[in-house]
Amino acid sequence: MFGNWTVGKKLAVSFGLAALTLVIIAVVSYRNASRLIENDAWVTHTHQVRTELADLLSELKDAETGQRGYLITGIDSYLEPYQSALAAIKSTQDDVRRLTADNPDQQRRLAAVSPLIDSKLAELKQTIDLRRNDGFDAALKVVLTNVGKATMDQIRAVIAEADQEERNLLKTRSEEARASADMTMAIILWGGLLGTLAVGVIGWAIANSLSRQIGSAVGLVRSSSTELQAAANQQANGAKEQAAAMTEISTTISELLATSRQIAESAQRVAQNAEQTASAARSGHGTVDMTHESISGIRRQVDQIVSHMLELGKKSQEIGAVLDIVSELAEQTNILAINATIEAAGAGEAGKRFAVVAEEIRKLADRVGGSTKEVRTLIDDVRSAVNTTVMATETGSKAVDAGSRQFGDVASTFKQIASLVSTATDAAREIELSTKQQSSAVEQVNIAIASVTQASMETETSAGQTLQTVSQMAVLSKDLLRIIQPHMAA
Amino acid sequence: MSALSSTVASRAAALRLAFDRAFAEPVRVDAAVRDHLLAIRVGTQALAIRLSEINGLFADKKITPVPGGRAALRGIAGFRGTIVPVYDLRTLLGHPDGETPRWLVIAATAPIALAFDAFEKQLRVPRDAILPQPGRPEIRSYVREFVGTQDFVGPILHLPSVLDAIKI
Repeated sequence: MFGNWTVGKKLAVSFGLAALTLVIIAVVSYRNASRLIENDAWVTHTHQVRTELADLLSELKDAETGQRGYLITGIDSYLEPYQSALAAIKSTQDDVRRLTADNPDQQRRLAAVSPLIDSKLAELKQTIDLRRNDGFDAALKVVLTNVGKATMDQIRAVIAEADQEERNLLKTRSEEARASADMTMAIILWGGLLGTLAVGVIGWAIANSLSRQIGSAVGLVRSSSTELQAAANQQANGAKEQAAAMTEISTTISELLATSRQIAESAQRVAQNAEQTASAARSGHGTVDMTHESISGIRRQVDQIVSHMLELGKKSQEIGAVLDIVSELAEQTNILAINATIEAAGAGEAGKRFAVVAEEIRKLADRVGGSTKEVRTLIDDVRSAVNTTVMATETGSKAVDAGSRQFGDVASTFKQIASLVSTATDAAREIELSTKQQSSAVEQVNIAIASVTQASMETETSAGQTLQTVSQMAVLSKDLLRIIQPHMAA
Repeated sequence: MSALSSTVASRAAALRLAFDRAFAEPVRVDAAVRDHLLAIRVGTQALAIRLSEINGLFADKKITPVPGGRAALRGIAGFRGTIVPVYDLRTLLGHPDGETPRWLVIAATAPIALAFDAFEKQLRVPRDAILPQPGRPEIRSYVREFVGTQDFVGPILHLPSVLDAIKI
């Protein structure tokens, strides 16, 4: 999850977490300090109330002291404490009432003590007036009534109650202030420790992550710079080879230029030869047509020969059939002659002449039979010869067909040759023209190659500079890696 | 072609001349005593039979098979208005059977026809060319004589003994 974060994001999140920790500690500390200050203020307030209460009692005592001194001495200067106390008591009473405005119990007590103070002051004024006007005894008489003392005792009791109340409040507020101070100290201590720990952990994680991330990137830069160095080396070598090759190409193209000029001359001669060949092919085409016509005539003659030979074979078969009849007649004649001989022998002497005739007939039949066999042999020979001739003629016919087809192919090929020769003539002219254009193009290429050669040399120089820069970059990446990850830079 | 036609014409002329001369010349009776024989073939064996022992030579006669009888009996056939039994010489002489032979002779001494495979020729041989022959083992009982000439050399089948064998 965190591996995909950018460096900026990681830093922002880390410092954000640290700042949040500090803000939390600060807010809590602020609140506790505020409460502490508030408690302190309340303690001061309580002390102030107690001081005012003590002042009020003290002023009453001063007033009573001045009254007693005057009563005893009758000297007005002893009334100074009384006079100053009269002015201060009212003010102090108002201060106490104001300071305890938030406390109803104290207000109730102040309300209770106020008439007592008025009564006490009235009693003091009465006795002072009596001393001044009626003398010591009159005043002593009033004093001895103990009204003033009782009133003073009640005032003391009420003020003591109020002071006790303030002491209780002071105790409570002091405890709260101490608890708040303890809490503030604990928060400052533990919050500081916790914040330090959190910042340490975040710092460690950030340092580790950034070190890994940047180290990896620097490692990649290092390997890339190494590869780039190798590539720059290859480029420099390639540029050198390219420059050398360009020089060779320039030489080769010069030779090519000379060759293309020779080709143009040869193509011109080829065009002339092709023109003559086309003329010869046109005259040969007429001869081929005449020959094709002659072969067609031969084909027709061969067909007629085959037809005649088949007719001859058929006639031979018919002769064979007739010969079968003749042969059978000869055989029957022979049988008849033999039977006639037998009959003649049975006729005795009278049959002898008949026997001679029969013998002659039998001989004739024998000869006819022999001749028939010879004729059959001849006919068989004729039929065999006819068959052979027909087969040979058919073979010849097929050969003529094949020859005719082949000659047709030859004629077609001849036409193609004539067409191709014409095409070759056009092609040769185009070659001649193209070769001239090619020569012109090659000259331009030669100029371009010279420019490319110059560019190759510049590329070689540039490749050297690139190699130097890449080497510096490799050293730089190694230094950077050593800074970030020393163990990997080794 | 012309040579062939001239040869054929000359042969025809010779035949015609010989035939005419036979009738033109006076009758001459041969002084030497000659026996008439028929050269035949039974199976693969060449034999001769005496013309005097037969009553006729026939070919391609229709033979009607009849039930029963001996193994050599092929059937019956009509000859000049007479019905005669036909026996196969191949069977009688111990040769293997095949199709019914084409040629037939009628015995002179009995109304019996004998069938054989081929008629070769007629022979007129001087009597001294015929010699007594005890006969070869397979046809010993049917051969009594032997003839030897330029045209033919072989045993002469004694038809009466063949007929005797049939009658038995």
